[in-house]
Amino acid sequence: MTLVMVVDDDQDLAEMLGIVLTGAGIDVDLVSRGDEVLEVFRNNPPDLVLLDVMLPGLDGIEVCKLIRAESMVPIVMLSAKGDTNDIVKGLEAGADDYMVKPFRHPSELIARIRTRLRRTNADVLGLLTIGDLSIDVTAHEVSRGGKKIALTRLEFDLLVALAKEPGRVFTRDALLGEVWGYRHSTDTRLVNVHVQRLRSKVEHDPERPEIVMTVRGVGYKAGVMGGS
Amino acid sequence: MNRFTSRLSKSLASKVIVSTVLLSLGVVWLTGSALYSQLSDGVKQVNLESSLAEARSSFFNAQYQFLLSERADVPAITKAVQDVIISSTEVSLSQDRKSIYLNRFGAPFRFSLKVESPDYSTSTDGLDVSTVPEDLRERVRSSDLVEYQYAQVSYQDREDSNVLIAGRKIEIPKSGNYEMYLVYSLNNQNRTLSIIKNALLLTGFALIFLIGLITWLVVRQVVRPVREAATIAKKFTEGDFSQRMNVDSSDEIATLGTSFNEMALSLESQITRLENLSRVQQRFVSDVSHELRTPLTTLRMASEVIYGKKEDFDPTIARSAELLIAQLDRFERLLEDLLEVSRFDAEVAVLEPVEFDLITLIERCIEDVRANAEDHLISISIDHETEQVMIKADIRRVERIMRNLLSNALDHAEDKPISVTVVATRTEVAVGVRDYGTGIEPSALSRVFDRFWRADPSRARVRGGTGLGLSIALEDARLHNGELDAWGLPGQGAHFVLTLPRIAGEQIGGRPIRPQPQDYPQNI
Repeated sequence: MTLVMVVDDDQDLAEMLGIVLTGAGIDVDLVSRGDEVLEVFRNNPPDLVLLDVMLPGLDGIEVCKLIRAESMVPIVMLSAKGDTNDIVKGLEAGADDYMVKPFRHPSELIARIRTRLRRTNADVLGLLTIGDLSIDVTAHEVSRGGKKIALTRLEFDLLVALAKEPGRVFTRDALLGEVWGYRHSTDTRLVNVHVQRLRSKVEHDPERPEIVMTVRGVGYKAGVMGGS
Repeated sequence: MNRFTSRLSKSLASKVIVSTVLLSLGVVWLTGSALYSQLSDGVKQVNLESSLAEARSSFFNAQYQFLLSERADVPAITKAVQDVIISSTEVSLSQDRKSIYLNRFGAPFRFSLKVESPDYSTSTDGLDVSTVPEDLRERVRSSDLVEYQYAQVSYQDREDSNVLIAGRKIEIPKSGNYEMYLVYSLNNQNRTLSIIKNALLLTGFALIFLIGLITWLVVRQVVRPVREAATIAKKFTEGDFSQRMNVDSSDEIATLGTSFNEMALSLESQITRLENLSRVQQRFVSDVSHELRTPLTTLRMASEVIYGKKEDFDPTIARSAELLIAQLDRFERLLEDLLEVSRFDAEVAVLEPVEFDLITLIERCIEDVRANAEDHLISISIDHETEQVMIKADIRRVERIMRNLLSNALDHAEDKPISVTVVATRTEVAVGVRDYGTGIEPSALSRVFDRFWRADPSRARVRGGTGLGLSIALEDARLHNGELDAWGLPGQGAHFVLTLPRIAGEQIGGRPIRPQPQDYPQNI
């Protein structure tokens, strides 16, 4: 059974989230303090972390960094502030996705969680190459010259999405649909921040990307060097 | 010249220095020329007197000599004449050259019928005797006194020169009456005068230069603090409030500095206070946002859970769950709008421009509001000249403006179609949303953007709008440096026109779509 760790200091909301998630068949681990997260996380590694930004003890963004330092588990930030800064900070700290409170529907939350847990590229199997990277989709591994590169699930999905159709230019909207499962969203910051994070891991020189290329005014595409 | 005048008008120091120099130039010129004319008069007078005295003694000597030789024979008289010429043309140390001119006039004395009386008419030093003025000669011939005149005479071997000519009638025995002239060159006098003139000019210029220098030094003392104040004031406008003037004396300049510093201090504290207020407000908005949203999230989820099980409940409880959800929706929208309004009021709303295609965005907004308007069956058409209209703007805000305009149109369309027009120019883009529904009273046009304003208070809100939509849309448009205009007539619908610069923050030059719709009044 899937285990989701819910980190929120608001007892009522946490309980409500528990009810909703349990109703959807997801196990829930409730944590109310930021400084307790890491201990619980190590003792009982969840499949996904639902993390509030404002937490007592330790700030949600700090918690996010700490988790990311030792695990590639999907992290979805919960933010009560629609504040851009908080969202971007959260994404830069390693969150895969975010939801702004109040959510439109509980089903929306569940859909997001499912998307993050699901293998988004279930139809792709075997080996892909992009630039000088080889991607073993089945084994969920990326390597360059036999050396493994550790990517989060989301970064992996993003890379596979680009690699499986080399030459195609993906708009940010298309990537949001493909990787994040949004039907439509205008928030392209998600894409921008994650492309930056991905580049910092897979590019030789993130300033001059060769794997994830920017197509000015349109979006991104996979690097062509040996890619197709 | 223009550069000079513009510099002059810009610099107080230059202005003061230039006017001081010009004024002292006038004063120095006046005193200098008065001094020069007095000095030259004096020099001329002294020169004249000494020359005349000498001339008189020469004439007296000549007369005496000739008187002595009255009874002598012709060779002795000739010798006397030569002596007189030599002694008269002797030049003293202080004098320049001197020439003599003797000319017989009138009938010669006839002491013997056989012997022609000798004529001693002569001139020395190459003097061109024709240049001796005639009127002086007249006076000499008719007078027994020493006559004199300043004149310009010519010489055979040198340039014309200014001279003083003194003349007297002389009688030479056994010869006749002569005019005797002594011609004194004024070269020495002129040289003295030119030395005086040069000295005066030099002194004058040195004086003016020194006055200019002194003025510059003095003005600098006054202007320096003024310049300092100006520099500091400029830094103030650039937002650096820490600058203060140096006050190191107790004169008027120091008073200026002290007052300036007091003003700076008061400005700084005022601005800091306002900044703090704004920060407090921003903080408050953020806190309210957080504090309200968390319970609202719980509420929404709880209500959804209840709603999801409504079949299990009594119909009144099921309906209550429906109402609960609807009101929570409304509450949430209201909260969002209020927070947005307070952000605008606190001036903390920030623009996050990205490049996007406006047509795609509008089409998506239409799709969304149409999904909510299915029961109304209202058609929304879009008319645009080009496939794509790329603009750089805050996409979230533009989307909100479009949603607000479209849902406002749907609210008032009375099931008549709505048309959206997009017109783009090089610098701006305009979107017109036209409905043919209830319309707006002209008197109410200015109030449609007011917060919580309702066209008809008795009319129920169909779609549960918050009453803040158009007000926020206007603020959103203005944040882009754009504008939102409204047109309407009762029964003939309304036309809302959004005009945005192609690149957010730049100025809009005009209105590609006029608020007065093109289909009016033909389409009544």
